[in-house]
Amino acid sequence: MQSIKLIKSIIIGSAIVGFAAHAGESNFGWVYGLDLQPKGKWELEQRLQLTRGHATGTYDYWQGRSEVEYGLTDNIQLAGYLNTYSIKSAKNYTNPDACSESLSSCTGGYGVSGAFVEDPSYSSKGIDGVSLEAIWRITNPLTSPVGIGVYFEPTFGRLKDAIETRLIVQSNFLDDRLQLVGNLVFEAEKLKFDEEPIEEIVLDFVGGLSYRVAPNWSLGFEYRFHNDYDGFSFASQTQRAHFIGPNIHYANKDFWVTMAMRTQIGGDCWAPGDAECSDGMVWDSHGRNEYMLKVGVPF
Amino acid sequence: MRNSLLPLTISLSLIGGVSPTVIAKTYMSAEEAKQVMFPGKYFSKVQFEISAGIRKQLKKISGIHHPLTNSQFWLAGDGSWFIVDEVVGKHEMITYGLGIDHFGNVKEVQILQYNESYGHQIREVSWRKQFIKKNAIHKIRLNEDIENISGATLSCKHVTDGIRRLMALHSLLLKNLKSHDTL
Repeated sequence: MQSIKLIKSIIIGSAIVGFAAHAGESNFGWVYGLDLQPKGKWELEQRLQLTRGHATGTYDYWQGRSEVEYGLTDNIQLAGYLNTYSIKSAKNYTNPDACSESLSSCTGGYGVSGAFVEDPSYSSKGIDGVSLEAIWRITNPLTSPVGIGVYFEPTFGRLKDAIETRLIVQSNFLDDRLQLVGNLVFEAEKLKFDEEPIEEIVLDFVGGLSYRVAPNWSLGFEYRFHNDYDGFSFASQTQRAHFIGPNIHYANKDFWVTMAMRTQIGGDCWAPGDAECSDGMVWDSHGRNEYMLKVGVPF
Repeated sequence: MRNSLLPLTISLSLIGGVSPTVIAKTYMSAEEAKQVMFPGKYFSKVQFEISAGIRKQLKKISGIHHPLTNSQFWLAGDGSWFIVDEVVGKHEMITYGLGIDHFGNVKEVQILQYNESYGHQIREVSWRKQFIKKNAIHKIRLNEDIENISGATLSCKHVTDGIRRLMALHSLLLKNLKSHDTL
């Protein structure tokens, strides 16, 4: 649990640093908005995500992301991440395509090699890798009816390599206290934890709203429509799932905190990925519930 | 802000504002701002009703949803007004003072309370002086006759909208009020 201790210490350390704050805060857990760092400003951000619960048994996938953001211009933000992980999986799959006929449950999930399928449990933790990020805000939702931005994030890690892109659309209402945000997400990824690398495409829509109910405090919810495709084409879809959940955001001039959770309300799988499904849910890197904690400290 | 700090406050505001990295919740009290704008002039604090019709017009003109309920008004014998108003900031409310001379033109704008993490440049004279001499016939709109400050867009936009609302209120109601008309 050394990586978890490291993540906790970064969060606590971040929260007590009393720097003057700037922008780039996120009201959402998984939806990206267009509030960027002003030119020349920096922000430290720590994310901690827990994906919990598969068909049965135990599946806990912790993902830590320690980020530094920088405003290259007022409309272009750059960032770098150090990604850490911790996975604990035990007898969490029930699908006969994943487990042998003699087993009522077996061990699997994102980050778990097929070589451990018959083991009673599996755990792993450590440094996953790094990500880079660039966001270009083409129009600003503060001054345009619709804010538009594009996002680019390459990731290099032990568990996967990936290139993620997003089209970000945001509109503000009610004196900019109400934010409606949507992201169209395209990600090409090569999963590296299994015996053979797995190539796939992720095509998601995430969206939500956040309303500032009182000074410093915002509440909202967010939704994810997730799709996976086998290989680097859209020829064979392997997964589809829906998630929804609330978010809460607190911000003042020195730091901000966002907590969010989303629950899977249903999903489907098709060959060659149908071993990752059961009970009308998608497992793999997804859980019954997903939790997010973000802390940002501008400086 | 204590009275003993008034000279410091005034001098800083006149030389171009405080460094944006300086964080303080209250920069100036309403009384101090009134004296900066109208030295030695006597004002009476006044209260009055704003009809539903005028409120509707103000919302249409300014686009602001936050009500005027916390705004405070002072009227001088020559028809000058001093108003303390608040608009929505990124995290908290931004409180500012607006002076309107007896011709109905903006005399001065002062930021009284600002508790945001960035955007402190709106306190700089170079930005605030854009409003001087404006009145209700002017647009008073960000990126039109009021220039934006990059990195402080939300604060610039909301304070500009707030001043446009107050100048519209002056045109629709305040300019016709005498102190004995007020409640």
